[in-house]
Amino acid sequence: MLKLEHVTIQFGGLTALKDVSFSMGSEQVVGLVGPNGAGKTTLFNAISGLVKPTAGKVEFDGIELSRKPLYTRARVGIGRTFQIPQPMHELTVRENLIVAQRFGNGRVDHARIDELLEFMDLSAQAGRDAATGLALQELKRLEVAKALATEPKLLLLDEVLAGLETNGKRYFTSKLEELHRKFKIGILIIEHDIETVSTLCDRVVVLNFGQMIADGTPQAVFRDPEVIKSYTGGADVAHA
Amino acid sequence: MKKFLWPAIAVLYLVVPYALQGNSYLLSLTVSALIVAGIAVAWALLGNLGGMVSFGHAAFFGIGAYSSALLTMKAGWPVLLAMPVAGLFASLSSLAMLPALRLSGPYFALAILAYAHIFRILATEFTSLTNGSGGLSSIPGLPSVSQLDFLAGLGPYLLILTLVLAFCLIYARVRSSYYGIALRAMHDSEDATRVVGVNSVMLKSWMLLLSAFMTGVIGAFNAHIINFLEPDYAFHGSWSVLPIVAAIFGGYRTVTGPMIGAVVIYLLDQLVFKSMLSSGHQIILGIVLAAMILFAPDGLLSLFKKKAPMQKEAEVRHAEA
Amino acid sequence: MSELILQSLYSGALVGGVYALIALGLSLAFGTMRIINLAHGELVLLAAYVAYTVESRFGVNPLLALPFALVVVCICAAVVYFLVSRLKRNRELNSLMLTFALGMILTNGVLMIWSSDIRSTGNAAMQDALQIGNVYSMFSELLFFALSLAVAAALGWWLSRSWYGRAVRAVSSNRDAAKLMGINPAKVELVSFLVAGVLATIAGIAIFSSGVISPPLGHSLTIKAFIITVLAGVGSVPGVVLAAMLLGITEAMTVTLFSSALQELTGMLLFLLVLFVMPNGLFGATKRRG
Repeated sequence: MLKLEHVTIQFGGLTALKDVSFSMGSEQVVGLVGPNGAGKTTLFNAISGLVKPTAGKVEFDGIELSRKPLYTRARVGIGRTFQIPQPMHELTVRENLIVAQRFGNGRVDHARIDELLEFMDLSAQAGRDAATGLALQELKRLEVAKALATEPKLLLLDEVLAGLETNGKRYFTSKLEELHRKFKIGILIIEHDIETVSTLCDRVVVLNFGQMIADGTPQAVFRDPEVIKSYTGGADVAHA
Repeated sequence: MKKFLWPAIAVLYLVVPYALQGNSYLLSLTVSALIVAGIAVAWALLGNLGGMVSFGHAAFFGIGAYSSALLTMKAGWPVLLAMPVAGLFASLSSLAMLPALRLSGPYFALAILAYAHIFRILATEFTSLTNGSGGLSSIPGLPSVSQLDFLAGLGPYLLILTLVLAFCLIYARVRSSYYGIALRAMHDSEDATRVVGVNSVMLKSWMLLLSAFMTGVIGAFNAHIINFLEPDYAFHGSWSVLPIVAAIFGGYRTVTGPMIGAVVIYLLDQLVFKSMLSSGHQIILGIVLAAMILFAPDGLLSLFKKKAPMQKEAEVRHAEA
Repeated sequence: MSELILQSLYSGALVGGVYALIALGLSLAFGTMRIINLAHGELVLLAAYVAYTVESRFGVNPLLALPFALVVVCICAAVVYFLVSRLKRNRELNSLMLTFALGMILTNGVLMIWSSDIRSTGNAAMQDALQIGNVYSMFSELLFFALSLAVAAALGWWLSRSWYGRAVRAVSSNRDAAKLMGINPAKVELVSFLVAGVLATIAGIAIFSSGVISPPLGHSLTIKAFIITVLAGVGSVPGVVLAAMLLGITEAMTVTLFSSALQELTGMLLFLLVLFVMPNGLFGATKRRG
């Protein structure tokens, strides 16, 4: 479904991604890990259209995306959340979903919106102003609900757990599992928490300095000496 | 507010003409006020929905005026056909301004102002087409409505009233549509809308085209009322400024605000301020605008009412595309 | 023909010096408060008319009007500052409209007090023709050009060396960080407005002494100043001076080569060109995209 071929992204003198090739299907939950600055968000930006690759192709369901503008990605089936939630301002929670549905999927289905609000436990907040009336966890739930409203085939989750305490993390981890099962959506998730990644994902891809250094099951990847080195900077660690 | 709508319309169409019919001075003032109202609605559409404040709507006004005048004079078109086409010309001219939509607020406002100046100069220099500063005279007037005496002079009033109300209707429909909701979100969070599939550039462009069209039609109407045009008049700064004061005074986030604001401000300016200070009466307009921005940027009426948040939830369920 | 071009280069550069002062005043306000003061041109206008009044009342050289003009203009600048600082929401656009309104008030105020008649200096010394090689200018033009450069240099020095000057730069680049350093942004913003007022005053007297003034001038000067700041990009004093001279020269050349009616046109076209093609201006770096 999603295919990246030899994607390189350069900003001036800085190479954020170097020759990254990667593909995944809608039945997978893939974790994208790596130290800060490894290029994970850049990879997301390339897939969701915020950044154009300097070289290489991004293909989704056979459609070559690199030339297509940002706003087409949602229609094609790519949903994305941001690490710092970006709700649509001056709109209520419900209106956020309405816009996402109408423009990301083509039509508005109020029953579906109710369903999504229910699923993300936002029914009580439906009438609140999205930008000013929600707590952090609620904002994060809205981020996911908004992306879901576009009826994506692939969901890109950018550090959705960042800033949450244990309960919050547990909530989201189980929510995402439920999401994958219930809506049959492929998930590509950037996450730092190794435990969460091991629980959620059947496959993990590791980036370091813009290059892919590992791709496999969580168990295999987290024991990979290259991967350990990238996280710990070279010191020999007995346990991952 | 809604329940006053139909009675108000009835008053505007039936009572007001009857009241004004003898007094041609008041009638022409009212028509002029409605001309300003038309631009104010168009301006508010771009400002409120498009999120872009413009200081140069005179550009569209003048282009509409000249296009219609030339179509009727040089190409022999009937007036009522030339007017909407003139609006289209104004829309076309706004295509040149599409790159400006990428600019942030103040820069857009001033870029549009630059366009207005440019078009004025072009109109002055392009003498073969526009007769330059000599101007165009004997522009055909509106066709007369009927032979009946009592409708004399009322034709223009009824036409401009209908145009302005039609614009208000369009403004309201767009605002309550799904596009309207997306446009609202685009003011402060354009990226968030694009990520969920909103083609924000196109939506904003449409608002500009629509606003230009409306203003162009009004400009055309004015040309056929005054029957004379010259560049400094057609592109005069007042056509940009008065609608802004009017729209802000009445509240540009509401549909009827700009229209009411225009009538009030224009009549006040012509009847009261002008007699107080014959030259420089615009100073009062400046004071009004400054006071509005400082104390009531959402319009005078906003001082009296505030919308309950839960009301929005109920309204949204009725939104239609 | 080449003499005409040389002459227009010269005249354009001279008037560019004065334009630079106006543009610098505008960028000071923009730098610290991120607002575009559309009433700035009217401050210049006010100074010019004060100079006219002083000259016609007392029969003296308009330069002597400086203290009076300074007082009048700086008070107005302070008033503009206080009103703008009262804006809470949506400051960028609201300040635009507010200062636009204030500009309208000032222009019409000038109109009411001094009428719409065109005025210019009657002072013989100022009007004296000065010849350098093959080019001519009024004495006042050259005088004020030199004065403008000196003032611009002083401003540059002030911004980089003096405490308040550096505070202005600090507030421009990061308001909150500046607060943490013990800088009171409100005071600094007021200072930058007052300094802008001083620059406007000198420019106003210059314009009165070398040309004609009438109420609509204020608005057109604001626009020119804005065009220059866009051309130059925000951030460097020399950049603004160069851009100002570029505008002055372009205007003068247009008048010589084409017609005086097109003078405004080239300024506008240059403006739009830079806005769309070189958003960072010709010399500076600034974020202009919304």
